[in-house]
Amino acid sequence: MKHIASLASGVALGSAGIAMMSILSGCESAQEQQQAQNKFLVIEQQENGKYVVIEEMPTEGPSRAIIRERDEFGNIKERFMNEEEMRALAEQEYKKVQEGTSETVQSGDTSAGMGLGGTILAAAAGALMGNMIANALMNNKNFANNAANANRSAYSRSATPSSSTSKSSTGKSYFGSGSSKSPSSSSSYGG
Amino acid sequence: MVTLQNIRPIDDAKLSELGLTWHTDKDGSKYVGDALVEVTQAEAEAYYEAANELYDMYAEAAQYVIDNNLFFELGIPFNLIEPIKKSWENDVHWHLYGRFDLSGGIDGAPIKLIEFNADTPTALFETALLQWALLKYNNMDEESQFNNVYDAIRENFKRLITLFDDTELFDERYEGWKILFSSMDGNEEEEATTRLLQQMASDAGFVTGFEYLQNVKFDEEGIYDREGNEYEYWFKLYPWEDIAIDEPELATTLNAIMQNQRAIILNPAYTLLFQSKGMMKILCDLFPDSPYLLKSSFEPLKGVKQVEKRVFGREGANTKIINADGSVAVSSDGPYENFKKVYQEYAEFPQDIHANKYQAGVFFAYEGCGLSFRRGGEILDNMSKFVGHVIV
Repeated sequence: MKHIASLASGVALGSAGIAMMSILSGCESAQEQQQAQNKFLVIEQQENGKYVVIEEMPTEGPSRAIIRERDEFGNIKERFMNEEEMRALAEQEYKKVQEGTSETVQSGDTSAGMGLGGTILAAAAGALMGNMIANALMNNKNFANNAANANRSAYSRSATPSSSTSKSSTGKSYFGSGSSKSPSSSSSYGG
Repeated sequence: MVTLQNIRPIDDAKLSELGLTWHTDKDGSKYVGDALVEVTQAEAEAYYEAANELYDMYAEAAQYVIDNNLFFELGIPFNLIEPIKKSWENDVHWHLYGRFDLSGGIDGAPIKLIEFNADTPTALFETALLQWALLKYNNMDEESQFNNVYDAIRENFKRLITLFDDTELFDERYEGWKILFSSMDGNEEEEATTRLLQQMASDAGFVTGFEYLQNVKFDEEGIYDREGNEYEYWFKLYPWEDIAIDEPELATTLNAIMQNQRAIILNPAYTLLFQSKGMMKILCDLFPDSPYLLKSSFEPLKGVKQVEKRVFGREGANTKIINADGSVAVSSDGPYENFKKVYQEYAEFPQDIHANKYQAGVFFAYEGCGLSFRRGGEILDNMSKFVGHVIV
């Protein structure tokens, strides 16, 4: 009888895990030019062979992705994809959009996921192709629906929390604030 | 004998990048062991069972302490008795996480409770993230570890809202209540621990903020960050007994805040009951037949090797190991000598071939959720090392 639980992968560690996966894979960015909309995606192949985004995080470095695919035995294997590779796939898919053959602009149920190129384009069109193209794509109702379907990350679903209204408080501070008493920095409470 | 599996260590620069900046101890030695303790599936299961059973025992013992007014016996500061009772009475004061320190559990040695770090446990980052990263970095099977800490605490954050109900109901019931996380400015380990908890809470779906302890503002109507934003929850990585003794006015204010139901403080005040090593004596009285307990007393034990500790000592400070004949085998100094003494029968820690000793830490968040080890000498102090594990 197995009660104890393990981590199937860093994805289970949420935002902490995917940041660490990036560093451990040696694919961390050297703080290149900042582009706020760049994304770090974790894309997982479903049992039907289709792909969905399972984690998404904004990143200050170039966009990148961890692709989790199934081998012939159904075991998940991970590979890393850099921005160039992602852009190549997105551009390929965008070409299909222009030809009208991309599944990203088809109506119909894409809740089971899409191909890898479509999934990447849907999740990161702005970061990879620029805002003009992304906005144009999002104006297409089918693309917008499919983009939403292909992304199951908590980040994309959670609304930006509204900041609370400031209330002026007369609250008092403790812990040596406002005095020269410096807090001990050697403490550590692990016991 | 503890069996170790040598691994390729993660270098200091990468550790810092991962967020573990306290990789080198004051004497220049590495804080993270470059080996993993081998644990069998059955041993991991036994640690899990022990943590669950011990937690139930602690909960029963806490009720006994409250019913019989035994706060003085446990060394609880008088100005925390009311906050302890208030937090105990209402489930919204949910215990987020704790860590049981245990001897034995590997190589046939029975699991024995050393103590329960219930209020401000550290080694969280190392257990939840680092030891997994060590598996990943060494291309080992990521599932071969008893480590569900991140997910378990994230789920437990949701229980602040859903309590005993299904955590799936969180989204439905959550109405934007905010959690403020605080640690002392200048201690990177504590800050990283606190910010990791904040990340878990954010992943759970909470709106969160961070403010160093000295910048948090308090009045009887609430708890605020420096901008004056009010928070419904406040997590402090700061011991309750230090608030009671060093900041008594704040203890009074926090009691009023709880009375006025303006904010919930985490971990709850009642975790100080669990934290008191005096509980070991209460547990022995209540559960004399438990296989997990070492004989404990407020008076020196007769004729057995034992450890003298302070009820609120931390990191092995103010600890004495006393031989059966009464002579002192080893002792440590520290700042806790004003606290009451408690005596616990000595338990031998499992050792490796270099005679290093290993203490197991089992994290608890609603249930046992992860295992890691501390390696050190006779008394495990703040020079002890973190060692991860692998299930073989």
